Amino acid sequence: MEVRTARVPLLGPDRLRRVQAFVVAALLALAMWQLATFISDGWVPSLAEIGTAFAEDVTTPLTYQEIWITFRRILIAFAGATTVGIALGAAMGLSRRVTAFFRPIVVLGLAVPDPVYIIVAILVLGTEESSGLIAMILALIPFVVNIVVGGVRSRDRGLDEMSAVYRLGRRRYLTDVVARQVAPALLAATRTCFAFSWKLVVLVEALTQPRGIGAQIYFAFRLLRPDHMISLALIFILVLRAVEALVFTPLERRVLAWMR
Amino acid sequence: MERRRSRRLDLALGGLGLASLLLLYWVGSRTTTFVPPIGEVVSQIPAFLTEEEIWVDVVATVRRVFGALAIAMGVGFLAAYVMSRGGLWGRVIDRYVSIMLGIPSTIAALLALFIFKRSEVGVYFVVAIITFPFVALTLLQGLRAADRRLDEMSEVYRLSTVAHARHVAGPHLVPYTFAALRNEYAHAWKVVVLAELFAVNTGMGARFARAFDRFLLVDAMLWLLLFMLILLGTEYLLLLPAERRILRWRVSAREAAAGEGAA
Amino acid sequence: MMREGTVTPVGTHDYIRVEGLRVSYDRENTAIEDLDMVVGKGEFVAVLGPSGCGKSTLLHVMAGLLRPEAGRVDIGGRPVGGPADGEAPRIGYVFQDHRLLPWRTVGQNLRTVLRSAGVPAEQIEERIDRYLGMLHIERFRNTWPMRLSGGQRQRVSIARALAIHPAVVLMDEPFSTLDEVTARLMRQQLAQLWEESSQTIVFVTHSIREALFLADRIYILTRGPARVFDVVTVMLDRPRGYEDLRLTELEGQIVDRVMEVWGYGAVDAAPDREG
Repeated sequence: MEVRTARVPLLGPDRLRRVQAFVVAALLALAMWQLATFISDGWVPSLAEIGTAFAEDVTTPLTYQEIWITFRRILIAFAGATTVGIALGAAMGLSRRVTAFFRPIVVLGLAVPDPVYIIVAILVLGTEESSGLIAMILALIPFVVNIVVGGVRSRDRGLDEMSAVYRLGRRRYLTDVVARQVAPALLAATRTCFAFSWKLVVLVEALTQPRGIGAQIYFAFRLLRPDHMISLALIFILVLRAVEALVFTPLERRVLAWMR
Repeated sequence: MERRRSRRLDLALGGLGLASLLLLYWVGSRTTTFVPPIGEVVSQIPAFLTEEEIWVDVVATVRRVFGALAIAMGVGFLAAYVMSRGGLWGRVIDRYVSIMLGIPSTIAALLALFIFKRSEVGVYFVVAIITFPFVALTLLQGLRAADRRLDEMSEVYRLSTVAHARHVAGPHLVPYTFAALRNEYAHAWKVVVLAELFAVNTGMGARFARAFDRFLLVDAMLWLLLFMLILLGTEYLLLLPAERRILRWRVSAREAAAGEGAA
Repeated sequence: MMREGTVTPVGTHDYIRVEGLRVSYDRENTAIEDLDMVVGKGEFVAVLGPSGCGKSTLLHVMAGLLRPEAGRVDIGGRPVGGPADGEAPRIGYVFQDHRLLPWRTVGQNLRTVLRSAGVPAEQIEERIDRYLGMLHIERFRNTWPMRLSGGQRQRVSIARALAIHPAVVLMDEPFSTLDEVTARLMRQQLAQLWEESSQTIVFVTHSIREALFLADRIYILTRGPARVFDVVTVMLDRPRGYEDLRLTELEGQIVDRVMEVWGYGAVDAAPDREG
């Protein structure tokens, strides 16, 4: 099935407006930042200082090594939380009894602050990398579960009845009837989980150094190098958002196409 | 009858779920060195709760949560309003909001700590900055979903701008406001703990950190329990009933359809 | 079928004037093309046309919601659609979907509209009582609209329209979403209400029988772009019977005439035979 995309002229009015908005937003933000530098008498690093630190960090291979370490952790936690979360969420969404059993656990899971997961994991499991990862997975699962349960619950029950009447069998039921309706929720859950996991990993690394971008940011903070703290943060955020855009947007399009 | 039995089964299953959590905890306390046994924790509860100092920190945190959340709701509404009007500023604010959605709270906390040093403002700043984009997004949805049909009715009957805002536009946004509030309330609590951990000496987050640092694990557990109790308690005993009461005019789609056809 | 003389206008015969109306949806589609219409004070006029022919658009223009490209609408000598000050005529509108504020009780819905119409505070409660009573729904005064049935909600909508004592009540197929039994009941009650209140009403419908049952005169429109095809004066005494044979005969005559104009030339059955 062909998906037609409108041909947008490079300098069309829509593009122009978006560029204009971007420029205005950027200039305004930069101006406010300089103002902050001025008001704080240089305590807040100036744009020039940040720029220099940025140029430095971007060209140091160490930066990318650290980012890679962090990225590995993100992927592991993301994969773990997504698989468990979707499985649990689907099971809950399909069965009222399963929901009743796990509901209090999920609710409590959502109520625990992230630092607590991390610190408790370290105390119980030791200071290896795996403790932090397990803490992340445990913190992320409830969010995934919630989204998936919502999606599975809001499916058309009429189609459930239809499947029973026509004796579709469990596998076909799950793949053809449920999955198709639930696909957007699954996509949303996956996307959200990834977004949360890269934000969470910073905390984990800040608390459990020494490797990883989060740790480097924390070190820069402790050593009173705000210019590097901000520049590393910027690099990290830019990289991860690029990954999100490059991976999830096409994925979304493909899933939507598959849904038709 | 059938429904009641079914609900009792649900409650029982829920209780079973909680019990299995406790079981897990008990196993953990027996097999590791650092997890304090349940008995010890429970026995200390009364002494803990009657200490006056505890409540000073609790109040400090509560104040921050409510204060910062109020700011976030206000700023979020303004942002959503500007975004819904479109135009240059609408798009500029849209950019800002989407950028701020992507800031890790840790980075925001460190930044705030650096800029504001150890102060209340820093904590308010962190919680408000992290939560307001989500509020803006939800309220924007609400503003965009405005029912054109009710707007027409309002126009024909010549409702003034004030009357329209009060009777049509405002109430339309209420469910969305509650949705934003529900989500960001829990979110704010968790961010506050993180902010306090890094930035200040008072408040529940700070007490957590201190308890862990000094290996006073029973204390840490007690603080955790208190935190969860307050968070869940306020959610279920304050927010949910308030929402239900204010939205009591609503009726499920099924009920609405069933009413059709009768005179 | 225009007959003169025996029609009894109540008050001035052109209380509402529509002249040379032309309305477009966009550059290509014209909804209404050169439409003229007059409605007398206290008259019940129906606007009859097939689905999608622009009848709702006509009501929108009369209510001041839509600006015509050409032509004008005057009510009581004053143009419609001016700024919301004391000058523009008051309009009551009964939509096809009730459009009640779901978050306000029935009484509050009426109160909101009465206040906006500038009714003095002392009179508001009494008016609410009176019009809810007229529509036999006084017991729902403190109920939320979504707890009522479709027919009850439309009654509230009608009460709301009448309560502000408007210059005209515009009704856009108000009974088309109701089941047949409820709709019949509502038509009867509307006819009674009209006789008691001498309110000017413009009623849009696609049902020939409904128009014949309710109206003094019927403006029959063509398919879009709409113009007036014919104006029929209904020479039946009130109260009319919905199953009255004379009604059926008139219906048959109209059906024959509009068949081609509405594009049903080859089809046997009449377009609105209720099944």
